[in-house]
Amino acid sequence: MVPLSWYLALSAVLFTIGVVGVIVQRNVIVLFMCIELMLNAVNLTLVAFSRFLGNATGQLFVFIVMAVAAAEAAVGLAIIISLFRNRETLNVDEADLLKL
Amino acid sequence: MQLDTLNLNYWAIAPELIVSLVAVVLMLMDAFSRKGGRQANAFVALIGLIAAFVAVVRLGGLAAGGYFGGMVVIDPTRLFFAAIILIVAILAVLLAGQFLGDEGLPPGEFFSLLLFATSGMLLLTAAGDLVTVFLGLEIASITTYILAGYRRYDVRANESSLKYFLLGSFSTAFMLYGMALTYGATGTTNIEGIRQAIASESINFPALLLLGAAMMLVGFGFKIASAPFHLWTPDVYEGAPTLVTGFMGTGPKVAVFAAFIRVFIGGFDVPIAGVGLQLHNGWIHAVAVISVITMTVGNIVAISQKNIKRLLAYSSIAHAGYALVGFVTGDFAPVAFYLLAYSIVSVGAFGVIQLLARAGDQKTMIDDYAGIGFEAPALTFPLAIFLLSLAGIPSTAGFIGKFYVFKSAWVTTPSLRYLVVAAVINSIISIYYYLYPIVVIFFRPLAPGFVRPRMQKATALAIILTIIGTFYLGLLPNRLLKSMEKGQPARITANQPGTK
Repeated sequence: MVPLSWYLALSAVLFTIGVVGVIVQRNVIVLFMCIELMLNAVNLTLVAFSRFLGNATGQLFVFIVMAVAAAEAAVGLAIIISLFRNRETLNVDEADLLKL
Repeated sequence: MQLDTLNLNYWAIAPELIVSLVAVVLMLMDAFSRKGGRQANAFVALIGLIAAFVAVVRLGGLAAGGYFGGMVVIDPTRLFFAAIILIVAILAVLLAGQFLGDEGLPPGEFFSLLLFATSGMLLLTAAGDLVTVFLGLEIASITTYILAGYRRYDVRANESSLKYFLLGSFSTAFMLYGMALTYGATGTTNIEGIRQAIASESINFPALLLLGAAMMLVGFGFKIASAPFHLWTPDVYEGAPTLVTGFMGTGPKVAVFAAFIRVFIGGFDVPIAGVGLQLHNGWIHAVAVISVITMTVGNIVAISQKNIKRLLAYSSIAHAGYALVGFVTGDFAPVAFYLLAYSIVSVGAFGVIQLLARAGDQKTMIDDYAGIGFEAPALTFPLAIFLLSLAGIPSTAGFIGKFYVFKSAWVTTPSLRYLVVAAVINSIISIYYYLYPIVVIFFRPLAPGFVRPRMQKATALAIILTIIGTFYLGLLPNRLLKSMEKGQPARITANQPGTK
């Protein structure tokens, strides 16, 4: 059987890829995918722990995370579309009307 | 597991149920009525919120403790924070008629989204389990992302909404990872269960617990806009419609503070030997450092702001720092009172600015308001009162809030008194930038082309209510403070242990 630590390492790597992607990437869609990657890394952690502890709470949590991620995706894409209609760009660097 | 051990009692979630049902009704009203009247929508929303407020008050009659298998708890923390959120929501509904009318925006979805956001925040204050914390947080956040971009033809609103969405979901992912690690370390997602696991030293992986707590701290830090996770705040607050800024600068922040208290003071604060002590020392000091950085950064950057919305955004960052000072006391009351004082004043200030800024937020620079002091006294005098209260001038709500937080922190934790010293110095610095707009408004020559904004009755009512609230909390706070101190501190929450 694959030990718990492997799953945790894999999900930590996936989470880190997501974080780095959010910081480095400039395309809104790719940013969005990186955030989804982070959420799925968390799901992997939850399922691995759930199996390890023999406790179903983790799996239940994963269902809720997936449902929320779907809602978030719907809203996120709608926001991206409304920005694209007004700006014709998907590059976050060009969304610069509000200075930092 | 027997069904009766779950403690299913729908009265325990009555406020959340009422608010979300009314939100659905509003959506249907908008779909089926021929011309969805703004007034009718606002009226229904208002009735729903007042009913929810009554339900919150009645919650006090139920036994404190966990319901629905510990997913939802009833305790004084929840009652007070839920009441603050409903007050903010009621004020926002009163102000919304003016906003929607001036901008010509559809009313139905707005009220419905506002109520869904409120139901998420109420759930967040009620959460007794990490699952409910996550769910409440996301219901509140996702709806606020939409509200921030509600003026969808405006590029600034789009941008604000996009930034809020990206950084909000980014921080949610951090918090979620923290929750997953905590679950792995303690074997439960129930907050009381986590406390018991730490107290009985039955932790699977102590390192993961510390890491999990740290990541949740980052997640909460993002949501309450504390430095160094505050960079999104000014942009989002500036771009969003002013009314929405007022709402999302207060409501979600109050709710996240409630969950923050519940998770950290109720769950992670077990100062006994071993990992519990390590965790306790770690997070108390981390919060203290974050608090000092937050108020300093907020105040220093606010000084150079030319835009009133950005100024108030940085001021809200500073206020989050002051509220964090109350955390070290291990009690919810100072934080709750502070946030109540801040929220009322802040919603009032944004309500006035919404009128002064005109449709489409054209005039948000402080210089646009030069000399209008005596041209539109019904707006400028309330604004001056709100700014003075934010600065913490005695006889206003802001003063009592600050005094209560600083005094409690000074008395309860002698080792962290530097926090109080830093907060007092910061309050003095902040007076400068709160007085600057007042000076511009009253003592500069009148800017040409000023037209007095037309105020609706509901807006006037909301502004009057906020002024009454400001002075009531500032002059006669005793009754409220007494009833808060009667409630037991958040540290001894008596919710049920986790159920498998």
